[in-house]
Amino acid sequence: MKMRTMTALGSLTLALALTAPVMAQEEVILRLLPAHTDAMVENYNPNSPGPGAQQRTRDFTYEPLWIDNVWHPGVSEEALAVSWEVGADLKSVTYKLREGVKWSDGEDFNADDVVFSFDYAKANPDYPMGIDVYNGESGNVTSAEKIDDYTVKFNLNEPDALARYGLNGLYPLPEHVWKDVTDPKTFANTTPVATGPWTAPRNFSRNGYDMCRNELFRGNADNAIDCLRFPQMNGNEQTVAAISAGDLDWLGDGLTDPDVTFLPQSEFNNYWLPAGSDVNLQLNTTKAPFNNLAFRQAISVATDRQTLLDISTFGLTTATKFPIGTGEMYSTWYDEAALAPYTWLMEYNPDKAKELLDGAGFVDKDGDGWRDNPDGTPISFGISMPSGWTDWVNSGQTVAENLQDIGINASLKTMDQGAWFDAVPRGDFDVYVMWTNGGPTPYNQYQPMFNPRLMVSGQIDFQSMHQLPIPAIVEALDKFKSTADLDAQKAALTDVHKLVAENVPVVSLFANPIWYEYSTRRFTGWVTEENPFVRPQVHDGNRERVLHALALKPIDGAKF
Amino acid sequence: MIFLARRLVFYFAAFVLAITFNFLIPRLMPGSPSDRIIASFQGRLSESQVAAIRRSYGFDGNLWEQYITYVQSVFRLDFGISTVQFPEPTAALLFYGAQWTLVLVGLAIFLAFFIGSFMGIHAAWNRGGFFDSFFTPINVMMNAFTPAIVALLLFYAFSLQLKWFPLGRAHDPNLMQNWFDLKFVGSVLYHATLPVLSILLVSFGGWHLGMRNVMINLLNEDFVVLARAKGLSENRIKYRYVARNAILPQITSLALSIGFMLGGALVVEQVFNYPGLGKFTFTAIGARDYSFIQGQLLLLTCSVLVANLVSDIANVMLDPRLRGR
Repeated sequence: MKMRTMTALGSLTLALALTAPVMAQEEVILRLLPAHTDAMVENYNPNSPGPGAQQRTRDFTYEPLWIDNVWHPGVSEEALAVSWEVGADLKSVTYKLREGVKWSDGEDFNADDVVFSFDYAKANPDYPMGIDVYNGESGNVTSAEKIDDYTVKFNLNEPDALARYGLNGLYPLPEHVWKDVTDPKTFANTTPVATGPWTAPRNFSRNGYDMCRNELFRGNADNAIDCLRFPQMNGNEQTVAAISAGDLDWLGDGLTDPDVTFLPQSEFNNYWLPAGSDVNLQLNTTKAPFNNLAFRQAISVATDRQTLLDISTFGLTTATKFPIGTGEMYSTWYDEAALAPYTWLMEYNPDKAKELLDGAGFVDKDGDGWRDNPDGTPISFGISMPSGWTDWVNSGQTVAENLQDIGINASLKTMDQGAWFDAVPRGDFDVYVMWTNGGPTPYNQYQPMFNPRLMVSGQIDFQSMHQLPIPAIVEALDKFKSTADLDAQKAALTDVHKLVAENVPVVSLFANPIWYEYSTRRFTGWVTEENPFVRPQVHDGNRERVLHALALKPIDGAKF
Repeated sequence: MIFLARRLVFYFAAFVLAITFNFLIPRLMPGSPSDRIIASFQGRLSESQVAAIRRSYGFDGNLWEQYITYVQSVFRLDFGISTVQFPEPTAALLFYGAQWTLVLVGLAIFLAFFIGSFMGIHAAWNRGGFFDSFFTPINVMMNAFTPAIVALLLFYAFSLQLKWFPLGRAHDPNLMQNWFDLKFVGSVLYHATLPVLSILLVSFGGWHLGMRNVMINLLNEDFVVLARAKGLSENRIKYRYVARNAILPQITSLALSIGFMLGGALVVEQVFNYPGLGKFTFTAIGARDYSFIQGQLLLLTCSVLVANLVSDIANVMLDPRLRGR
């Protein structure tokens, strides 16, 4: 009886909702989900260390200096800056700023705001703003100088042709607002003053909010979207159901088997998973047997990458061509001829693996059925994965089985995510499956991977976990950084590639997908495989996402 | 009175022990709140930034100093700032989650208790009859399911396929929270229907079985024979004599259920995207959000202790035999 009353009450509410009058001039609302959360917090601080505010306010509300269009370098990259110039001695970067830009409260944007933002970032290290700006290795920026109202010069400590990549991602803050904020990390910025296309928050509740049109945005003539709607959601069951029902338009969730779990749910559901950054096996080379090159090579050829692609990762990943720790994302940097001699390391060949191991003395000495170290000590190690990371756990399992097939006693070791993160800096592990960082050039990946300072216990980075110092790579990277000439950079990078392939500090596995799901219920203009004008993901870190949003146009007759 | 005084001393000791564990448990887990924030930048922070973040979001001082600060803050009712939902005060989040958990788990417990107990009384009174031999095994079987399975089945059938019920949330997001607005309350009940059912369906069997077993034992007691001999009405014997005695152990378990209510219903909250405490706590544990974990455990400790106290008092009131002691 009780239940029936409730259902009746429910249907009543539903009926009321359905008969609500439709507004004459409908607002165009784009529903998107850059971050999962259990409850919305009223915080529009673009650099807030919690993931939510950053994910929702960067790019859409606050603009960067420059958008690195990773797939199409040089196209539509101007944001708050319209051009840049690297000094002849490579010791400065000068940006020309866009003139006539207004903050959403009507004040002018100019060089003072940029210089202020730089100094502000420097004064507040626990408030990570332009996160590469002060990075001792890649940023190396000492000061910002106002040349005139619309020109800012950043001075460098040492010559660095790549410093602009760190500076491009600075999101300038309005000086007239933030100069009075003394503790920026706890500042919730509930009335944002920004320059982006959507700067006016509306209807905040724990269940979500809208961010509506900035009337002063320069591109309003071409901006078809009145408001962005950020609903509160958590969990894939919820998000898939929501996009299928029309409560979301743009999503970037990792889905298992999307052809079954996602596509059939709605005729409007679509997805595309282009290759993202690579995934490698990190071997702890400070320990036997990983300190032996033949052993590392044997692991590489014993790994059945086709099974990893098709089964362990549900066919959602992309193959990696060369054993160089990076993959398809940087395919324009390959020197295919130079790398051809190393492709055998990427081919599944258990017999070759056994041959390598036999040749290096890794044979079964104590008769337990498993191979031992040349000195007779037994080999037994775990491939560590955080429990719950399904595709990676599967991958670890597959690699362990491949190694067992050639007589190596390897096993999958799942652990709590916190413990997994925790063990890295101390170097307390045997083998990890590990992501790579990505970034505008491959330099951003190899620099942390081979920086000797990140190979000291307590400082070990996710990329330098192998801890194999290769000084020749460091030299080649210095060469890369000290020239702005693309051909010279490519030559230096080919040296890096060859050195990685020769030393096998990491075992390349596959490229992770870029997660991108969208609904064609209300909008056209989505990035597709046929029209890949920008990287399509909805998440922070992809500065092109604002170009994607601005390219979307409502379909005639769509209901919002 | 001595009985209650003794209990109060016991409760205070239990409270002090519990807050000590609340403090230690999150810190025994590997990792820390700042580790999670640092990890989210995937190695793009410089060393000085890492150090600054550790200072700002870590918990300063050695374990003993942290403990003293924590105990002081407990007595000041200061729960700190959540690192997951930075910079939201933990107290605001706890309050928000607690109200929805109270709606969800509270409704489920009370409905399960009343439905289950009445079914148990009825089954015991007519033991061996159709009602007893049909519903008792069915309810025991339902009791063996977990809320996870029931929640997923209900979600799939009624939310996804038939679309009779919403996909999630505690109420229509277009309605602003106002407990005096009937439309809002209706929306809350509508959204709570499936989550409540998921818990209810698997839990009233326990109350049914408990009530039935105690009732059956009591029905053979001398005082029941005497009541019958006196010619009292069937209903009077059933409810005032037998059920009143049989309900005592049930009250104790009800009090415990109410106490543990603030633990939330993690799986159900997760499936229906219901903003309860279980969901918040799960996220907080994953992110090592010490303030939130401590706050939630403290809330749970207090509610279990209060519920126990209430059940002690209720037992004294319902059972005259305890009053003399």
